[in-house]
Amino acid sequence: MTSTLTPAPGRTATPHRRTKRVRWRGPLMAWLFLAPALLLFLYFKFIPMFVGLWKSFFKVQTFLGDEWLGLENYKTIISDADFAAAIWHSILLALGTTIGSLVLGLGFALLIEGPARYLWFVRTAAFLPVVTTMAAVAEVWRIMFHPADSGMLNTIIGWVGVDPQPWLASEHSSLWSIMLMSIWRGTPYDMMIFLAGLVGVDRTLYEAAAVDGASTWHRLRHITLPALRPVFWILFTLAAIRGLRVFVEVYVLTNGGPNGSSEVLMTLIYKLGFQKNDLGVASAGGIVLFLATLALTLIAQMLRRRQAR
Amino acid sequence: MSRRLLGVAITATLAVTLTGCGSGGSGSDNALEIWIRQAPDSDSAKTAVKLADAFTKASGVKTKVVALFDDFETKLNQQAAQKKLPDIVINDTAQLGNMHSQGWLREIDKASLAGGDKLSDRAWQAATGADGKFYGTPFSAQAFALIVRKDWREKVGMEPPKSWDDLAKLAQAFTQKDPDGNGKADTAGFVIPAGTKRGYASWYASSYIYGNGGDFIKGTGGGHFQATVNDPKTVEAVQYLQDQFCKAKTVNPGAVSNDTTVTHEVFEKGQGGIYLVGPYVLARFVKSIGTDKIEVLPLPKGPTGGPGTLGEGENVYLMAGSDQQDAQKKFAEFAISPEGQKIGMNKDANGAIVRLPVNTQVDMAGERQDPRWKVFQDAYANAVYAPPVPNWAPIRQDSADSINAVWADCSANVKTAMDQLNTKLTQELQSQKAS
Repeated sequence: MTSTLTPAPGRTATPHRRTKRVRWRGPLMAWLFLAPALLLFLYFKFIPMFVGLWKSFFKVQTFLGDEWLGLENYKTIISDADFAAAIWHSILLALGTTIGSLVLGLGFALLIEGPARYLWFVRTAAFLPVVTTMAAVAEVWRIMFHPADSGMLNTIIGWVGVDPQPWLASEHSSLWSIMLMSIWRGTPYDMMIFLAGLVGVDRTLYEAAAVDGASTWHRLRHITLPALRPVFWILFTLAAIRGLRVFVEVYVLTNGGPNGSSEVLMTLIYKLGFQKNDLGVASAGGIVLFLATLALTLIAQMLRRRQAR
Repeated sequence: MSRRLLGVAITATLAVTLTGCGSGGSGSDNALEIWIRQAPDSDSAKTAVKLADAFTKASGVKTKVVALFDDFETKLNQQAAQKKLPDIVINDTAQLGNMHSQGWLREIDKASLAGGDKLSDRAWQAATGADGKFYGTPFSAQAFALIVRKDWREKVGMEPPKSWDDLAKLAQAFTQKDPDGNGKADTAGFVIPAGTKRGYASWYASSYIYGNGGDFIKGTGGGHFQATVNDPKTVEAVQYLQDQFCKAKTVNPGAVSNDTTVTHEVFEKGQGGIYLVGPYVLARFVKSIGTDKIEVLPLPKGPTGGPGTLGEGENVYLMAGSDQQDAQKKFAEFAISPEGQKIGMNKDANGAIVRLPVNTQVDMAGERQDPRWKVFQDAYANAVYAPPVPNWAPIRQDSADSINAVWADCSANVKTAMDQLNTKLTQELQSQKAS
């Protein structure tokens, strides 16, 4: 009796356990695959972020122990005239770089779109600035921007009769010079995203438009650009975030100078934190920058949704 | 809900594991860890290793030298946050206040330090904190002088400058008279690191300011200070340099964005001929430009003051929290001994970590054959160190920002800018509770 009774509950329990195991297996595998990346994010991104937030309320003294200040650091950073100037420079640089890279990126994408064989080479060559380290790019541009007659860019503009420019050496042109370099670097990235977007455009629409006698400009305006709308939103969001976080190019090229003319939020925060050793105020600046980036992203998303409706 | 819980559990487990791995104790070999602000694998770093090895041989204490250049203070901050500071740090004298205010430094009992009485009083000044106590052992000293292209000066037919006027004329000749003879107007007089990184603009201007009897701040006694950067003598010095940038245009192009790394190259490439700098680059320039092409001249005193140049150098700092306090002290004693100083001087070769010896028993002329070192040594007699405020770093940074501004903007009024800087420095002193 017992021998027949024992397997009975087992037989009824097995399918239940199996479905339970099956139900768990999927998410378990997913989490296991995600775990290394999550772990790195947690350790190197999220924990430091929360520590930064926490430290922004203190006078940070790494060895002696921190001193609670409340909102004092935020008051200091927000009332700092340099901070306002840095925000303005960051916005200007972000806008200029975004628009410049978008327009040029779209132009190049339209030029080198298509299945022709030789295009892979052109695309690879055009993409090279993106994969080069920013610090190396900035160092090379610093040499090209040499403000004397013998500087490379000055020699080039000299061929068309333009006088030598001070580039980074003048407070009136330093920000524009950095923008020029950033556009050069950002364009190929945008170009690749546009190329990916262009692949998704239905070719039959072009053919239909051509049959209807639409000009190239009309096809671009009424077919290509509307089809690329999602790409524009992605690029806007990415470029805005990238623009606000700009650091290496400014740090290497001008360190915010001359006369503070190219000081951006990140270089100011770096200066406050590591050159003036005011880590609490620098953390507060970092949090303000985070909030600004978050707000900008949300606004971009809201606009996108509204337009999608 | 249960899926989310599972995810959280996995993440937490892995996080704990990783944290556990990361917190393994370092320095278990019990070697005395020595950090020096020099580029890794540079000649200077090699000299530091030589010094540490000699110390190990003499004392039996094992050592580990860590040479770091970029973001040195940032990395120290990271160590401090983990309460794992190195045992010894060899760093700029101007960083004393910064490190002391963070509680990183051990106080030095000058009387109990073997050989402490052999060090010059001026050098001990550089190791003094705002409270008058010593928080470092002087190790190396330096004053500033002009490294000039001798071949250019002879080509334009001018004598070594005796006054600021002479200096301006020499710079003008270097700019206008094609001293390198290549037929192009591609040379400048002054080579200046006038950017704001690490406060370079202020660092460079200091020697002119002290050379004219001016100052940034002055002690009023009892650890209190007062901003004096709008003093006419200081304003005159900054104005003299603004005139070089804006009126005479004798400064190398792009100087307002440059740090010393770039400026060294500008001088080496023959783009400028007068470089006010410390002796640490002398051996490098001798090698890269040619010994007969460069000379070292003292900075002439200013029209209303001087003589004086910026005094700087390095201290050996005994860091807080070390469990090898005896070995720390022994290393400091070895570093200031004649033997330690001679190793650090590295004779005439590149990579000297002792620029001018601080031990009065060391004969510099006996160690180094190049007579140009003597100009720096003579200048040291009138060198002015940064005053012992609790933290000099923000004062140097604020003044660099303001000085860079008047050099970059030729329409800026120097007096007005210095008045504004004076207000800013006064506020800074108040926030440091030192006014």
